[in-house]
Formats: sequence, C-alpha cells, structure tokens
Amino acid sequence: MPPIENGTILIKDGKITALGQNIAVGADARLIDASGKFVMPGMIDAQSRLFVIDSELNESRSIAPELNILDGLDPFVKEAPEVAAQGVTAIYISPGSHSLIGGSGAVLKLDGSMDVGKMLLKGDIAIKAAIGVSSNNESSSLGRLANYSSIREALLETKIYMHNKEKHEREQAEYNKKKAEYDKKKKARPTEKAEKPKRPARFRPNPAREVLAKVLSKEIPLQIEAHRATDILNALRLADEFGFTLILDKCTEGYLVAEEIARRKATVILGPVSASFVDMPRLEYRNHDIRNAAILSEKGIKLALGVSGRDGASSKFVALTAAMAVASGMDRDLALRAVTLTPAEILGVADRIGSLKVGKDADIVILSGHPLDSLSRVEMVLIEGKTVFERKDQQ
Amino acid sequence: MKKGRFLSFLIILSSIFCLSSSGGEPQVLAIRAGKIWTLTDGVITNGVVIVNNGKIKTVGENIDVPEGAKVLDMSDKNVMPGLIDAHCHIGLSLDILAEMDETVAAVAADMQILDAFNPQADDVRKALSSGVTTVMLAPGYRNPVGGQPAVVKLYTSKADDWVLKRTAGVEFSLMNQALMFDREPTSRTGLVALIKEELDQAKADKDGGFNPPREVLKRVVDANLPAYIWAHTVDEIASAMAIVDEYKLNAVLVAAGQGDEITDMIAKRNLPVIYPPLLLSSRDKDLKRAGRIANSGVKLAFASLGPKTELYDLRTSAILAAKYGLDKETALKSLTINAAEILGVADRLGSISEGKDADLVILNGDPLQLTSSVEVVIINGNIVYQRQGE
Repeated sequence: MPPIENGTILIKDGKITALGQNIAVGADARLIDASGKFVMPGMIDAQSRLFVIDSELNESRSIAPELNILDGLDPFVKEAPEVAAQGVTAIYISPGSHSLIGGSGAVLKLDGSMDVGKMLLKGDIAIKAAIGVSSNNESSSLGRLANYSSIREALLETKIYMHNKEKHEREQAEYNKKKAEYDKKKKARPTEKAEKPKRPARFRPNPAREVLAKVLSKEIPLQIEAHRATDILNALRLADEFGFTLILDKCTEGYLVAEEIARRKATVILGPVSASFVDMPRLEYRNHDIRNAAILSEKGIKLALGVSGRDGASSKFVALTAAMAVASGMDRDLALRAVTLTPAEILGVADRIGSLKVGKDADIVILSGHPLDSLSRVEMVLIEGKTVFERKDQQ
Repeated sequence: MKKGRFLSFLIILSSIFCLSSSGGEPQVLAIRAGKIWTLTDGVITNGVVIVNNGKIKTVGENIDVPEGAKVLDMSDKNVMPGLIDAHCHIGLSLDILAEMDETVAAVAADMQILDAFNPQADDVRKALSSGVTTVMLAPGYRNPVGGQPAVVKLYTSKADDWVLKRTAGVEFSLMNQALMFDREPTSRTGLVALIKEELDQAKADKDGGFNPPREVLKRVVDANLPAYIWAHTVDEIASAMAIVDEYKLNAVLVAAGQGDEITDMIAKRNLPVIYPPLLLSSRDKDLKRAGRIANSGVKLAFASLGPKTELYDLRTSAILAAKYGLDKETALKSLTINAAEILGVADRLGSISEGKDADLVILNGDPLQLTSSVEVVIINGNIVYQRQGE
C-alpha cells in the first residue's frame, strides 16, 4: 500500500480509531506533531532473544513441548529499552534449538513495564522444533535422520494418544449415560436387581501429548528450525505427512529448495539475513547466502525477517536487517512488510499489530527519515498510544 | 618529461588499437558515474574517471573520453575508492588460531604473515565482493611481540605488485589474550616487562650478531618501522601509551575498543586507531565509542578482523558508527583515505585522484546505506568482481 502523505492518525484508548488525510481532530486531543517525519507501525523481531538468558533457552530433554517460554523470562534486562528505542515494539521469543521439540513461544510488547503479564500480547504462538541443529558444531547425516524420526515418532505417538483419548471419551460418555439410567432405575425401584455399568479404564492425560495434539489439529503451528536444505526438506516431509501448519524457522539454505517451500505454502521466519549476526564459522551457516531472503520472497513465499542475533540487544537492528535484505535484492516494500505485517500474520497477531489500520493497537514509530535509510533516527515510539521512547539528544 | 608522458600515451593508444583488433583488453578505461566519492576532493555528480594503465589519469565533470577507451557506463551508480581493511586475518587458514600466532615462543618479530597467506582462499573472494581491495594482513594478539603484518591488494592473478608492503611493521599485544599459562609471560606486569626488555635489547644491540627478531625490533626502536599495538581496554591502552612514550615509537593502536574513555590522551600523542568491527549485538554505549574517538580528532580506520567476524562488516561498521554519531564524511574516510594514511600507502591508495591506483568500488547507492550493495570491484583498472546478474 502506498504511504499516506500529510496524514493524521487518531488514537483512542490505545487503539487507532481513524487515519487518513482529512481527519478531524477534537480540541481535547493530545497532539503529537510529526509533520515532516515518517510514521510506521511498530516493528517486530520474530527471532528475538531478549529477556532470555542463553543457558536457560534449552531443556535437556529432547521432547518437551509442554514447556512455555513465558515461565523462563527475565523481564528486567537492561537491553530492552534500547530495543524499543529503535522502533521495535514487539518481539517473538521461542525456546532454543537443543531440544528436538522445545515448547511454546510468545509475542511480547516492549512497553517497558518489566512485567511479563503486561507485556504479553499472545502466548502459545507456535511449538518450537529443530532438525539438524548441532550445539557442538558437529553433525552427521545419521544424527539428522534421528532428529527427523524422533519428531515423527512423537507426532505418531500423539496420534495414537488422540485416538485413545477419543475412544476413552466415547466410552466414558456411554458409561455416564448408562450410569445415569442405572441410578434412575435404582432410585425408582431400589429393590430391583440391575446390572451396574462397568466404569471404563482410567485415562491418564499427558501434558506433552496434549500440546502436540493441538499441533496436529492445527490449533497451534509447528515452528521447525532447519538450516540446511536436507533438514528443510525433512521438515516439509513432516508437514506433508501430518498436515500441521508449518513455520520454517531460520531456513538458511532455503534458497536451494525455494520451489519446494513455495509449493507447500509454508511460511518462513528467515534469519539472520547477514552472517554478521552469527559466530562464524558454524556448520549451519556454511552455505549462508545473503540473497536468501530475496530469492525466497521472489517465489511468493510468505516471509518474515528475524534478526536472530547473538543476544538480546541485537533485536534493535530490525530495520537494518530489512535494509540488508534490500541490498541483496529483496523488494523494498516486501522487506518493510517482512518486519511488520508479515511476522504479525505468521505469528497470528495481525488482528492487533503489524500495520496502521483502524481498530489495531496504536503501536507507532516516528522516524526522521525513511525506515530503510540506515541513518534515519527514531524520534518517538508509542505502544497502545503511550509514549515509551522519545529522543532527547539532538546529536 | 611532459613530452615523454605524451609519447607513452600515444604508444599506449596505438597498442590499444592493436589489442582491440586482436581481442585483448584495452588499457584505457572510462567510467561514467552518477556520483564519484573522491574522498579528498568532494563528491562529483555525473562525472567521469579515466583510467590509464591501471592508474587514475583524470577525474572530473566535463572530461572527454579518449577514443578507443573502454567505457563503463555507471551513470546511475556510485563510485568510491576501494575499501581498505586495516586489520584482518583472511586467507590464512580455517583454523585461524593455528596460523595466526606462535604459541610456543612469546617473541616472533621475524615471523612474516605473508608466508601463510593463500590468496585463493574463499574468504579473500568474500572480502573482494564486499568492496575491500586492500587489506593489512596481520598476526593475532597472542604474542607479546608478534610477527610482521603485510599490506596487500586482494588481486594476485595478473598484477605482480599486489604486495604493497611485506614488512609493514611489527605487532605487539598488551591484551590479556597474550598471557598463557604454559609459557611466559603469565601476568600483565610480566607482559609489559617482556616487551620492554625486548625493546631495550634491540636498542642496546650494536654489533649485530645473527638475531633476526632483534634486527627487526631495532628498526622499531629507531622509529623506522611502525609498531602496531593491540590494546583494547583502558588500562591496556594506557600501558601501550607508556611504552610508546618511553621508546618514542612510531605506533598505531589496534582494537582500541574503549579508547573513547581516554580519547584526549590518544589525540595528544597523535596515535592513530585501528578500530574493531562494530557488532550487531552491541549495546548503545559501545556503538557510540568509534564516533567519540574519531570525532575528537584521532585518525581512525576500521578493521574487520575477519574471518572470525563476517567480512561484510567493514562497511557495516562505518554505517553503524555513523548511525551512532560518527561524522559521515569521517566514516567514509575511515574506510579509505584515513586507512591508507595509517598504513602508509596513501601515495597509491585511498582516494580517487590523479596518479593513484585505479582501485574502485561501484555501488548501486550511497556507500553509507545498508540498502546499497557492491556491484563491481576494480583493482589496477581491471574488473576483479562483478555481482551476479549485473
């Protein structure tokens, strides 16, 4: 969509209530004059490590889908205000890649409250899985196959679990019905002999299977971190077999199998765009190509750009990440979208954030220049209409 | 003299005609450019650079293109001098620690880094594609008295003069990483003492018996050869300055990350600084340091320290520094002319001006924008890199 020149945004109770060129402003409104500036929706880092201490990212168990990233966050980290000051208003944090299936991720707003409950926009965004990611920079073909088959096994077991659970629920319902009839009969004629219905065997609910069941019923997407082409293909194979909603995470060698990804309509959170963000040389990034984002987006793949930095502070470089993608051939509008609306859509929060639209949250960034201009400065950041950053130094 | 030059020009012209008929490369190249960042003489819009025999012959707005010249039409592009990476370890080895430093001997002043350089290495090609045309190849920081860095062009296939300086100086390290538990020195005080002892002995050495490291260090104490001193923290930089003062060394500070905290002391001594890459994980405080150092008048050049960090980082470092306060013009100079001056090669490199080597980078936009990418790289008038699809 083309930008609106000389426009006005009306905000009420934290929401955008009107926007366009000829908007009447009430006399009682607080006015922010950003004429001559650029205004855009708050940016999103879809691969953030803010609030997470690296060693706490990972569980030693290989299948741990019932874990929730929200339970392990440290909201007091000092980097958070620096990230918000660069126009990043929301981040997606998911568990690390040591576990094959590692729990659910969440989208948080950087409102400076240091209160996870307040910052939380939405939890249970996706369940994180990883194929072929090595923690020790060593990886074998056999290890990759084992990753794939372990995830597959967990999903198959979940299918059996779901089947058993359904069967149990059916039996329980039948029992409940019979028992009610029996009770009724007993009450009416207490002396008459009747056969007491048999209670079905007890069913033990399994929290891990319950979570994966939601993946199989497409309630929650499965976000699979895969770097190398073979691992990406394995992730696609799993999605083919089980029909879950797939989010490909990192997708380093995606450009080698772009057709395959496009054909499946899988969404991608790509990162890092530039290998500057990773400790080199790492096995996963051996074939890292800066043109990856351009090639995938040209194929029509829905693609968000994550910073995927070494630590929490990296999340402030979302706009620079988009700029780097443009340098390597990505369309400018798509690159901007890839750090705003597209991640919101992939993460299922586009009803609230990701664009400037009537009814959405007033998460707004005011810049001195175009958002893709590396030397533009963020002047002001609003989250739900409240100022969370305002530039003071005039250097 | 003038006549001689004109004559040789004629000879070149005629040889071009001969060459073009036989399919060889012409020796006169004319580059039309939307913007020419000369770095010493402002920005020229819609200009032309004429390259003759690998050197820049003329640059300006209204220049006639000589007949027979190969014309490179870059009218919508930006042309700037080739970037200079003031310290890196590319082309050395995949396992960089194995070839960068001597781990047994603490003093290795006679070690020449060029002996371990492989110009065909993958990371050399990568550096070229990011616009780097000249690098200072350097040993690491694990030897208190390290080896000799070299200044080379990343172009070894045709030119025989790709080595600008085989012995560009001697490296010293005051960083904690120079301390090892299994060889001396093992303490900070011991580290300073050892460096001083080596310099003292070089100073005292008169008869010149066979001692190659000492021969080299003698040139350092005579201030004939620069000392490149690794020092990152404030206290390491202070130690470096004390040594520079005592021995009156011709010195350059390497990786002086925290130099901004004592920038006046560095400026007073006229010490140039070779600055490590600005990382995309840094806190705001650290991202502002390079700007603070350079804005206070200290001459600064950027180093990628690659391949440990990504080589695209050289221009990224300058852009980040500019974003966090470094003056824009200084940021560009730090990648080119200032780096050339610090490394002592400014007579040939660092700006687009008459007589200098035709080492040029052509970008599709402003060099200080991350959205801009390198499309063509030229060394000695020859295209050595061209982006795919261009």
